[in-house]
Amino acid sequence: MAQGGEPVIRVAGLRRHYGDVKAVDGVSFEVARGEVFGMLGPNGAGKTTTIEVLEGIRTPDSGTVEVFGLDVSRHQTAIKERIGVQLQSVSLYPRLTVTELIDLFGTFFSRSMPTTQLIDAVDLGERAKAWSMNLSGGQQQRLSIALALVNDPELVFLDEPTTGLDPQARRSLWELIKGLQAQCKTVMLTTHYMEEATELCDRVAIMDHGHILEMGPVKELIGRRFRERAVFFDSNPRLPVADLAHLGGVTRTAQEDGQTVLYSTDVAATIGALLATADGLSLEPHNLGIRQATLEDVFLDLTGRALRD
Amino acid sequence: MRSLIGLTVANIRSLVRDRAALFWTIFFPIMFVFLFGWIFGGGGADTKIPVGYADQDGSAASAGLRQAFGSVQLLSLRDGSADDEKAAMQRGEVSAVIVIPKGLGEALAQARSGGRASVAIQVYGDPSRSQTTQVVEGVVSQVANGVNLQAVGGSPVVTVSRLSLQSATISQVAYLVPSILAMALMQLGVFAAIPLVQQREKGILKRLGATPLARWKLVGSNVLLRLMVALVDAVLILGIGYVFFDVRIIGNLLAVVGVVLLGAGSFLAIGFALASLLKTEEQATGVVQIVQMPMMFLSGIFFPFDFLPGFLQTIARFLPLTYLGDAMRQVMVNGTQVAPLGVDIAILAGWLVVCLGIAARTFRWE
Repeated sequence: MAQGGEPVIRVAGLRRHYGDVKAVDGVSFEVARGEVFGMLGPNGAGKTTTIEVLEGIRTPDSGTVEVFGLDVSRHQTAIKERIGVQLQSVSLYPRLTVTELIDLFGTFFSRSMPTTQLIDAVDLGERAKAWSMNLSGGQQQRLSIALALVNDPELVFLDEPTTGLDPQARRSLWELIKGLQAQCKTVMLTTHYMEEATELCDRVAIMDHGHILEMGPVKELIGRRFRERAVFFDSNPRLPVADLAHLGGVTRTAQEDGQTVLYSTDVAATIGALLATADGLSLEPHNLGIRQATLEDVFLDLTGRALRD
Repeated sequence: MRSLIGLTVANIRSLVRDRAALFWTIFFPIMFVFLFGWIFGGGGADTKIPVGYADQDGSAASAGLRQAFGSVQLLSLRDGSADDEKAAMQRGEVSAVIVIPKGLGEALAQARSGGRASVAIQVYGDPSRSQTTQVVEGVVSQVANGVNLQAVGGSPVVTVSRLSLQSATISQVAYLVPSILAMALMQLGVFAAIPLVQQREKGILKRLGATPLARWKLVGSNVLLRLMVALVDAVLILGIGYVFFDVRIIGNLLAVVGVVLLGAGSFLAIGFALASLLKTEEQATGVVQIVQMPMMFLSGIFFPFDFLPGFLQTIARFLPLTYLGDAMRQVMVNGTQVAPLGVDIAILAGWLVVCLGIAARTFRWE
């Protein structure tokens, strides 16, 4: 929820190239205090590079990058005191325990939260004395978030916090992240899960090939493109998309993961016409269904590709 | 300061909990001390060479000779007939047999009155233990020299004080203990590359880079850890050398600590330089072995430098371990010199500076 005032993050015209690869190619956005801001995009879209520039791990080639109104390249230490960072897939000192690691990270900051409180917050009480190498994937991610919260940061960066986790572990992390929002911390996260972005983020930036394609609240992003709902069924070569584009109510069509999707302003008319067409060919559309358009549809519409690829 | 201590403690814990690392940094050099100590030291002052002694003469002079042999600390004598003792040697109960033949007293008496008689003391040795036999032969010829001198000069007492052969065997261990310490410091430093590369590969260094922690503290905590382990290694190795093999440090203790720290520092710099040049853990483990194994054997730390064949001497002169071993021996046991101490120190300092320079320029945190 943007609450006005100075933005916590301000990025304008950020560029970062690696040789010929334009990892980030002119990105601009702002994040307000207390907001959960998500960067959504496939692997290699430039999400991680962007977030690592903000964290002070990488230097930008050009562009303005400010955190708390401070230039990241000139006030690194001051910024690092006030942010919490979770990197993508980091294992920590493998032979230190959860408690020892949190204690250790506490010594890096001028102020730190009590270790037991952090362990409770991420629900690792039973594993407090376990070596980090012996934790499960979900537990390691939660430890990693505990370490990001050691200094009670105003701004937390989470880089793909749930990648590689099973659905249950993912849900439990979502609850944790929603808890951060409730504490009025600003959160910036990256993900390639649409559902995650929809569930957690106040605003989302969709990134691909180093550019932000579209940015806004999830509902608005969908509503901007899709007043329609989606009618979908298993693709069948005898029902080519081109033939279905002029069925009643259909505004747009798409092919996605073996499914044909018809975006429609009049679902009843579209389904009636579709069934009639199929019947004329003695066919029955398999797995026919209707849903609201999702971020997935937005991404597909923006890039012509499904995000899962 | 808190973070430096915290990181150092984290490093210590990681080392102590990693059995493989612990083995290489602490137990491996200790194993070497015992191994070489037992091979070359003959077990030190407590173990004596058991020797059978047969006096076939039975004169007053041969009794005096028996007393002279009895005072040699290296030998433990067992009296018996020549045949019994030779059989005992074949059974392995004694390592050599000394036989004083009949006619010794007579020959000595003749010699005193200007005659020209001689008698040969016989030493039977086990050819498979030629080193022991050599030691016994050496003792016998020393005693015989004493007797001959007495016969010529008329000196009344045969005295054998401390035999040069005994100190020779001990100095072999004394040569080795500082060398093993040098080897341990070399490995300690070079092996430091592996955890660093590991931490970079796993993103630990990057994660630490996202905290306000200053980078010099990260490096500093690694240096602190290694220097502490270096001192622990030094105390253990020198302590074992002293307690079990009677190797005493003759030199100044401060100089010893100084050389230990300089040596550890130089090889740590080499370790950091390797960590800068290597990308993966597999590479690091491989290259570290390629660096440390040949260095261990080609530096001439386990053999007196002059004993090495010419081409090995040439190779050894390029290896920093040669100079650390040399410096270590010079400050500890006054060992033979490869180069003057000042040159050793200058060369080690040179490696330190050059490798730190390489590391500072090329080290990557991710």
